[in-house]
Amino acid sequence: MSEQAGGSSVPGRTGSVLLDVQDLEVRYGAIAAIKGISFHVEQGEIVALLGANGAGKTTTQKTVSGMLRPAAGSITFDGQRIDGIPPHKLIDLGICHVPEGRHVFPRMTVEENLAMGAFRFRSPDQDVLAHVLDLFPRLKERYGQQSGTLSGGEQQMLAIGRALMGKPRLLLLDEPSMGLAPLIVQQIFDIVRSINADGVSILLVEQNARQALSLADRGYVLETGELVLAGSGRELLADDRIRAAYLGEELAS
Amino acid sequence: MNQRLNLPDWAGRAVACLFGSVVLAMMVGPQQGSQNDYGVGFRQAVLNPRIFYFLLIGVLVFFAITYQDVVRRYASRPGVRPLVAGLLVLLASYFLMRWYDPLGNNAKFAGLADAVASTSGLAPLAKAFFGWLWWVSLVVLVVGIFVAIARRLRALGWAMAGLAVVVGVVALVAHAAAADAGGGIDHSYGAPTALVGYLVLAGAGVLAARSRSETAATREFVERVMAFRPGLPLVLMGLLLGVLALVSATWFAPQQANATLVDTSSLFSGSDASGLSEAFLGWLGYVLFVVVLLAGAAAVWTRNRVVGYVAAGLAAVTILIVLVTLHDISATATEAGYPGADGPWRDLGTGGWLLSIAVFSIGAGAFVAARRAHRPAGADEARGTVTGRLHQAGASTTVLSLALFGIGLALFYPPTATTFWQQALVTDIGVYVLLAIGLNVVIGWAGLLDLGYIAFYALGSYTTAYLTGSLPVQPPSWLQLSPLWAIPVAIAVCLVAGVLLGAPTLRLRGDYLAIVTLGFGEIIRIVAVNNPGNITNGPRGVESAVPHPVIDLGFLRIQWGGNQLQYWYLLLVLLAILIFFFYRLEGSRLGRAWAAVREDEVAAQATGVNTTRVKLLAFAIGASTSGLAGVFFASDIGYFNPQNFILNNSILIVAYVVFGGMGSLTGAIAGAAVLTWLPNFLRDQVPSEDRVMWIGAVLVIMMIFRPQGLIPAKRREAELTGLAGHDPSVRPAVQAVPASEGV
Repeated sequence: MSEQAGGSSVPGRTGSVLLDVQDLEVRYGAIAAIKGISFHVEQGEIVALLGANGAGKTTTQKTVSGMLRPAAGSITFDGQRIDGIPPHKLIDLGICHVPEGRHVFPRMTVEENLAMGAFRFRSPDQDVLAHVLDLFPRLKERYGQQSGTLSGGEQQMLAIGRALMGKPRLLLLDEPSMGLAPLIVQQIFDIVRSINADGVSILLVEQNARQALSLADRGYVLETGELVLAGSGRELLADDRIRAAYLGEELAS
Repeated sequence: MNQRLNLPDWAGRAVACLFGSVVLAMMVGPQQGSQNDYGVGFRQAVLNPRIFYFLLIGVLVFFAITYQDVVRRYASRPGVRPLVAGLLVLLASYFLMRWYDPLGNNAKFAGLADAVASTSGLAPLAKAFFGWLWWVSLVVLVVGIFVAIARRLRALGWAMAGLAVVVGVVALVAHAAAADAGGGIDHSYGAPTALVGYLVLAGAGVLAARSRSETAATREFVERVMAFRPGLPLVLMGLLLGVLALVSATWFAPQQANATLVDTSSLFSGSDASGLSEAFLGWLGYVLFVVVLLAGAAAVWTRNRVVGYVAAGLAAVTILIVLVTLHDISATATEAGYPGADGPWRDLGTGGWLLSIAVFSIGAGAFVAARRAHRPAGADEARGTVTGRLHQAGASTTVLSLALFGIGLALFYPPTATTFWQQALVTDIGVYVLLAIGLNVVIGWAGLLDLGYIAFYALGSYTTAYLTGSLPVQPPSWLQLSPLWAIPVAIAVCLVAGVLLGAPTLRLRGDYLAIVTLGFGEIIRIVAVNNPGNITNGPRGVESAVPHPVIDLGFLRIQWGGNQLQYWYLLLVLLAILIFFFYRLEGSRLGRAWAAVREDEVAAQATGVNTTRVKLLAFAIGASTSGLAGVFFASDIGYFNPQNFILNNSILIVAYVVFGGMGSLTGAIAGAAVLTWLPNFLRDQVPSEDRVMWIGAVLVIMMIFRPQGLIPAKRREAELTGLAGHDPSVRPAVQAVPASEGV
C-alpha cells in the first residue's frame, strides 16, 4: 500500500479495499499517458479523480473498465487481478462504466436502453428498474421516447441509469457533468450521492473539482499522468493549490 | 465577389420542374445515337409534340408543389389514396400490361384497340369501349370521384362508385368479346387488372360517400377492416380467385387446346385417369371448393379455434387433391399421346394453380381467424421485453394475412409463369433475395458495411464446383459430393473465410471496413481469373457443368434440372429455413447485441456486449448465407465464370438492402425482389439500352422521397413516428434518415 491518504478514517465505511490500483502505467504507442499511479477505492466510497485536460483521468478509468490494457502495474478488484480482462467480462464482476460523453443508444427508447443495461442478465430485474426510475423520474416521463431525442442531462441520467441496471458494485463515472447546465449538474451529483448511499462504490472522473470534491470521500489529483495530490474531499477542497488550479481562486487573497 | 444569382423561390422551382419534364421527355422514347449523330434522343424528345405533354406535367408538378398546403389538405381527405391507387392500377393495365396475347409485340391495350377498330361485326359496346369509352369513363370517374371527395357530395360518390363497377364489368365483357372475335389463345391479365382498378375506384367513391372524417386514417382504416373479422379478406380473395379458376380459367392447355374445367372434364371422362381425378374434374372440385369456402367462412365468422384449424386442414387436403389431379391428367394425356402433351406437370393451364391459390387463401384466412380467436386485446403488450414487443408488433393481422397470401402465391403462382419468368424468378430474383437477407444481417443489423459480399458467393460456387469435380483440380474420390451435400461444406468454408477476413478487419469502422471488404471481393475474383496452379480454370469458368442435385432415398428419387420450377421449390425451402432462422435471431439476445453495436459501439461495450464476437458472428452468418446462395447458383446454372462475381454485384446487393429498408428482413426481401424484378419487367417496356437508366431513376427517386426504404425496420420507423402510436400529422416520408447513418 503505497499511499495512505485519508479514506479509512471516513466513518461508516467498512474499510475493505474494493479496487486497488498499483503502479499503473498505460501507453498509447510510444506516449506514456499514465506513468505509474497507485490508488484505491474502498467499499462504499466515492473517490474522485481530478485533473486538467490530458492529465490521464479518462485513460485511468478506461483501463480500470478494461477498455485499455495497462503496460505495467496491476489492478485488483475484490481480491482478483482484473487488468487485461475485456469489459464484457468485467461487467459480470460488477464493474459498470458510464463512458464519457453520454453514450446512449440513440435509436432505442429509454426503456430499451435500460434493458440493454441489464444485458448480462437473462432479463432485466424489475426491482432494479423500478429503483432506477425512482432515482430518475425524468426517465419515467420519457420512458417510450427515442433516447436520441432526449436532452443532454436526460441522456446523462439515462447513461447512469443504464449502468445501474447492471447491478454494479463499482460504478465508474466519467465526467457526468460535462456540458450540462449547473442546475442539472447539481441534480446529477445529488443522484450520484444517493446511488452511493445504496452501497455502490463510485470512481468519479471530473473536471468540476468543487462539486466533485464536496461529494467525494477522497480525491486524487492527476497531472500529466502522475498523481500529485491525494486526500479526503474536504482536505483537497481546502488545499491552496487546488483552489488555485481548479477553482479559479486567487492565492492568498 | 459573392454575387450569387438570387432567383425568387418560385422561379427556381419552375425551372427545376420544367427541366425535370424535359429530362423525363428524353428518358421516354428512343435515345440511341451514333458516332456522327449524338442528338437523336434530344431531337426525338424536343421536336415531337409530346414535349408539350411533358411540359404540362412539369407545370402541374410546379403548381402541386407551390400550392402544396392546399393540395395536402385535399390529399389527406378520405378516399384520395384509393383514388390514386386505382388510377395507377388502371394506367398500368392500359399502358403496361398485355390485353391479348396473340398480337405478340402489339399485345397491349393500344394494339388490341387498333385491331378492334379494324374488325367488323363486333358488339357496339366493345367497339365503343375500345374506341373512346375507356378514356372518357376514366376521366369522368377520376374527376367525379375527386369532386365528390373535395366537395363532399355523397350522392356523387355513390353514383361514381356504381359507374366504376359498371365500367369495370364493361371492360371485362368488351375484352371477352374482342378475344372471342380474335379466336386466339389468350392468357393476358390486362382486363382483369382493369376490373381490379375500377373496383378500387369504386371503393374510393364509396369512401367519399360514407366517410365523415376530415382526414384519412388509412392505417387505422385498414386495421379496423382487418380486425372486423380477421381472415375475412383472405377468404373473400379466395372466393374471387376460386370462382375464376372454376369457371373461366384454363385447366389443360397443350398446343391449341384451351380447356376450362368443364371441357377438361369431358376430355378426360372415360380415359385412363384415376377415378379420383375424374370425380374431381366432374363434381368433386366444385363440392370441395364450396365445402372449404363454407368452413372458412364459418371459421372467420364464429372465430372458433377448432373450426378454424379444421377449415385449414380441409384446405390442405383439397390442395393435395388438386395437385394429384393435375399430375394425373397431364401424365394420362402424355401416355395417351394427346397432341402436344409432353410429360407430367406440363401443359397445364392456370386453372389448377389458381384454384390452389384460392383454397390456400381460404385456408390461410381460417388459420388467421383461429390464431386471433378470442385473444384479449393487448395481450401482446403485456408480456416480454420491449425489444420482443417491437419484434412482435409486426405480427399484426394485416401483416400475417399478407405474408400468408404471399406464401400462397410463391407456392402456386410460378407454375403458371412463362419459362422466361421462371428462369428470372430463380436465377435473378430468388438468388438475390437469398443474398440480400444475408447481407441484411451484416449491414442492417450489425451496421458493418461489407462491399465484398459477392466474394463469399464466389467461394460457395467454386467450393461446389470443386466438390462435384467440375474444376481442373479433382477432389479425392471420397470427397466427391452431390451439390446438396456441398451445402454444409460451402457454408463451413464461407464461415471460416468470413472469420478469417473479419477477425483482423472488424476493428475498422465504416468506410475503412468497406474498403477492406471491397478489396477482398476483388482479390477473390482476380484469383479466380488468374487461375493459380490451374485450380479455377481462369476466366473461362468451370471446366464441366456442375451437376444438378439428386435426392435418392430408394423409394423416392428427386432429380433436379428438368426445369427451373424444381429449383424454385428448393429455393423456397432454403428461404423458409433462413427467414425463420433470421427472424428468430433478430429478436434474440444476439439481435439485441447487434442493435447495440450498430447504435453505439462504446456504449455496447460498456453494457457488457462482447463487440468483437458479435460483429464477427454477423460477418460469418452473412458470409455463410452468401455461400449457400453460391451453392444454389452453381448447381442451378451449371457453368459459371468469374464474371458472375464482379464488384458491381456486391454493390447491387447493398442497393437492394438499402432500397428495401436497412435492418428489415421483409424489407431486404422486398427490395431484392423488386429491384431484380424491375430489369426483367422493363425488358418488354423500354429499349434495352435504357433499362439501367430507368432503374437508376427509381433508385434516386426512392432515396429522395423514401430514404428509409420500402419496408423500413420497425426501429427506424419508430424513430420517425413514435412507438406508442401513429400521429397522422407526422409525415415520416419527409424526414430523412439522420446524417450519421453509417452507410
